[in-house]
Amino acid sequence: MAFDRQGVTMNKLSDSVRVMLFEGRADPSPFVKQSAAIIALLVSLAAVLVVPGLEPTHPSAVWVGAAIVVAATVVAFVLSQSQGLARYASIVPLIDFVGLGLFAAGIGGVYSNFFALIILPVLWIATGDGRRFVGYAIVGTVQAITVGFAVSGSLPETASDWFACVIATILATLTAAIVNELSSQSRKQIRAINSLAEDKERMLQRTVEYAAQLQDSEARFRAYDRMFRGVWSAVTEQSVIGTDVTGLIDAWNPGAAKILGPNAQDTEDKRYIFDFHVGEELENRARELNYPPGETVLNPGFSALVESARLGNAESREWSYVRDDGSLVPVQLSVTKRVDEAGVTVGYLFVASDVTQAREVSRLKDEFVGLISHELRTPLSSILGYLELMRDDEDNPLSPEHIKYLGVAERNAHRLLRLVGDLLFTAQVDSGKFALDAHDLVLDEIISAAVESARPAADAAGISLLELLPDRMAVVHGDALRLGQAVDNLVSNAIKFTPRGGTVTIALDCTERGAVVTVRDTGMGIAASELDKLFSRFFRASTATKNAVPGVGLGLTITKAIVTAHHGEMGVESEEGVGTCFSLTLPLVSEPAFVTVGAA
Amino acid sequence: MTLANTLGVIVADDDSDIRTLVAIAVSRSGLELIDELGDGDAAWEAIQTFTPDIVVLDVAMPGKTGLELCRLIRADEFLKFTWIILLSAGVDNAAREAGIAAGADEFQPKPFSPRELSARLSELANEASRRR
Repeated sequence: MAFDRQGVTMNKLSDSVRVMLFEGRADPSPFVKQSAAIIALLVSLAAVLVVPGLEPTHPSAVWVGAAIVVAATVVAFVLSQSQGLARYASIVPLIDFVGLGLFAAGIGGVYSNFFALIILPVLWIATGDGRRFVGYAIVGTVQAITVGFAVSGSLPETASDWFACVIATILATLTAAIVNELSSQSRKQIRAINSLAEDKERMLQRTVEYAAQLQDSEARFRAYDRMFRGVWSAVTEQSVIGTDVTGLIDAWNPGAAKILGPNAQDTEDKRYIFDFHVGEELENRARELNYPPGETVLNPGFSALVESARLGNAESREWSYVRDDGSLVPVQLSVTKRVDEAGVTVGYLFVASDVTQAREVSRLKDEFVGLISHELRTPLSSILGYLELMRDDEDNPLSPEHIKYLGVAERNAHRLLRLVGDLLFTAQVDSGKFALDAHDLVLDEIISAAVESARPAADAAGISLLELLPDRMAVVHGDALRLGQAVDNLVSNAIKFTPRGGTVTIALDCTERGAVVTVRDTGMGIAASELDKLFSRFFRASTATKNAVPGVGLGLTITKAIVTAHHGEMGVESEEGVGTCFSLTLPLVSEPAFVTVGAA
Repeated sequence: MTLANTLGVIVADDDSDIRTLVAIAVSRSGLELIDELGDGDAAWEAIQTFTPDIVVLDVAMPGKTGLELCRLIRADEFLKFTWIILLSAGVDNAAREAGIAAGADEFQPKPFSPRELSARLSELANEASRRR
């Protein structure tokens, strides 16, 4: 990868900078600095020993001086061995002052040429960081001069002698001052260079870090890209089409190719989304939205297509896509807008599912419902019709026994008819084709009617039927036939599940939550574990099957569907062996008017 | 118009048992049964030929459906005042509304009581004779 190579280069660069910095900071070691003094001393000593006329005046001073300088060299060597000790290096030139002072004193003192050796420790000490080192150099020089006089045991005698001493001191001082200043400036420069180098190092470091981050982001981006491409090409059953704000297609997934035919190369940046819509559908929608043709900048059909999405609401509705061969595909299409980082709309996304199959299933279901309705109700019509003809045949009257048999046949035919009705009703609820014929109605009347129609069955089963109505009318908005069916179901259930001698109480209450109808029985009850399944289709409670209570398990499903369609709620409480209480709550139309019980 | 000054009825239903049941109801009501047919196309020919006063039509029939026949009758200059009773196995309001929208005067869901149909036909006959 390009980034790796670049990374290596940068590391090398930064290494070289580090080396440079290290060299810039490092001072020569005390031993290296001392080497000038020791070499000069050895050369001078050789001259003294070899050159005629340079005989020392005080040989012992020469040797002691030389020994002190050698000792200073040893100290310098030791100090060079450790960074920690190097800061005491200034002690070496100070010793040199004494050693070289003594050496020079042995060969003529301050007046001899060898006194010039003093300049070496002066130079060394003057390179120290700070003005005080100039002072040390002066002190060292004065010390070396003093040592000379101490060795000769006499003070300068002539003015010229004094002058020589002063000149030597002044020269040493000037030298020290100049060297000190130069080295101070050089140190400043080095510091500046070091600081620059450090900045450079930091910048390089940052660049290296940025490069790493960039590499990281790139890897993440590639991973997202792979993920996106994977998902994009995996969506083969939905058509996903992206367009700009004018409807020009800029994204076309394999699903779109599968559903519509052409592939991405044929459509992207070449065709418009409305090329794949039925013009008439778009025009109708545009008319619905009150877009007079030609009024809008964009294609009015396209505006209608993206209207909801443009306003920020995701919209899903059925449209027809047109294939290039002219065939139509019914689709459920969701349109959403695409926005840039600033939130400005840059286009739209059209996600569509082919609903051909769903429509076919729905059509088959409707057909099946129609078939059931026709094929089951038609023979039942014949059975019931002809039974009625027999009963009404005055020319050939039936015997009482035959009339009894006829009654059984009629009852069972009606039972079958109810079952067919229930099955049809659940099918209608399923397909969402269950419509209410709703009006404002008095619920009290529906309950009274249900109680009256249930009374013969209750009397036959030896069950007392109680009706408790409130002293005010409950007005609800609903379908009288369906609500009657719901209450009938609950009451006939209660009668079926209550043993002889029991009581079924139907009560109506007006509460804050709405009109509450309760149907309470003293029957066999329902197991707590079965209560949540009670409203499922074809579910039969174990108490029902155990006691052979007839039914198919549709009554409560239907009742609940009716109540739900009226924006109501159903509830149930039960205890096995004690009884069950079903309740249905319906929203009241207005504040119920108070009426006297008699008037109601 | 039939010669015998009673109302003439044509019955059309693809189920022969139901057709017979309706025919019995017609005869018990004292009206004249002109013809009974098992499919929509034959029924349309008979209606055009005999111009009955009342037709009792099933909605779902082979050939023309009951609803199509309703529309044809209402669009025909000579037939448009025919009293139409639709029989249907459809039970919901949509089926009834579709029937009324097609031009039926009455919608009778199946199963129906022959006794009640007979009574209704007698009523229609009485109304017609009063108008005369």
